[in-house]
Amino acid sequence: MTSFHDQVIQILPKLRIQALSLTRNRSAAEDLVQDAVCNALAAQDSFIPGTNFSAWMHRILRNRFISDLRKRRETTDIEDVPASSFASNATHEDSLALKDLSMALSRLPADQREALVMVVVQGMSYEALAEATGCAVGTAKSRVFRARRQLEAWMTGDLPANDKLRVKVAALRATLDDRRRKGLKSDDLFTF
Amino acid sequence: MTGGKDGVPEKSRQDKTSSDSDNPFDIWLKRGLHQLFDDVANEPIPDELLRLIEEDRDERSS
Repeated sequence: MTSFHDQVIQILPKLRIQALSLTRNRSAAEDLVQDAVCNALAAQDSFIPGTNFSAWMHRILRNRFISDLRKRRETTDIEDVPASSFASNATHEDSLALKDLSMALSRLPADQREALVMVVVQGMSYEALAEATGCAVGTAKSRVFRARRQLEAWMTGDLPANDKLRVKVAALRATLDDRRRKGLKSDDLFTF
Repeated sequence: MTGGKDGVPEKSRQDKTSSDSDNPFDIWLKRGLHQLFDDVANEPIPDELLRLIEEDRDERSS
């Protein structure tokens, strides 16, 4: 049987994805994973061998995130978070759309973003998601559904013309096009 | 698949909820999310974090 510590090590990549989906920031995500691991090690006697370790561990990370959020009384919104937080060093032709997606993701409520990423990226079932996030299966499904449709609305322009994100994306695109025509780099545009 | 403007697929009239949806937007979204998150999952685990776990393992077994 895999030891408790081996299970912790094995689940670290998934915890990182969950942490990034919640924090929207790589550095904060690393800190959150480390804090969650510390909490898990301290609470390992409360884990019942043979039960769902993955759900137990994801819940610890999620609770730590919520606890930290309350302590900081954070009211971060997209204005405070670099659009490039989610990654990526994409240089291919759809990198602009990827940056749009990154920005749109940042606008989603944290619980919807987390649910979407855990189902789509990690391939988690709705039942496992519900257990990992401490909600009903119906709630888990609803979060993923709403996240998908909200992103679709934002990314395909199905929004009022005065939508702030759409206006911002349009302005960014115009600036990027202008800089590209002038042969200038545009990296600095994504660190607001 | 064929993308719409700026590589984002045109809005589909389908409205499926499963993670294996064949909605063009959902297919595009899945690919985009993997591009954004896969690197993070594949990065090496920081030594400090591994040391923390191993030290706890040693303490528990001693």
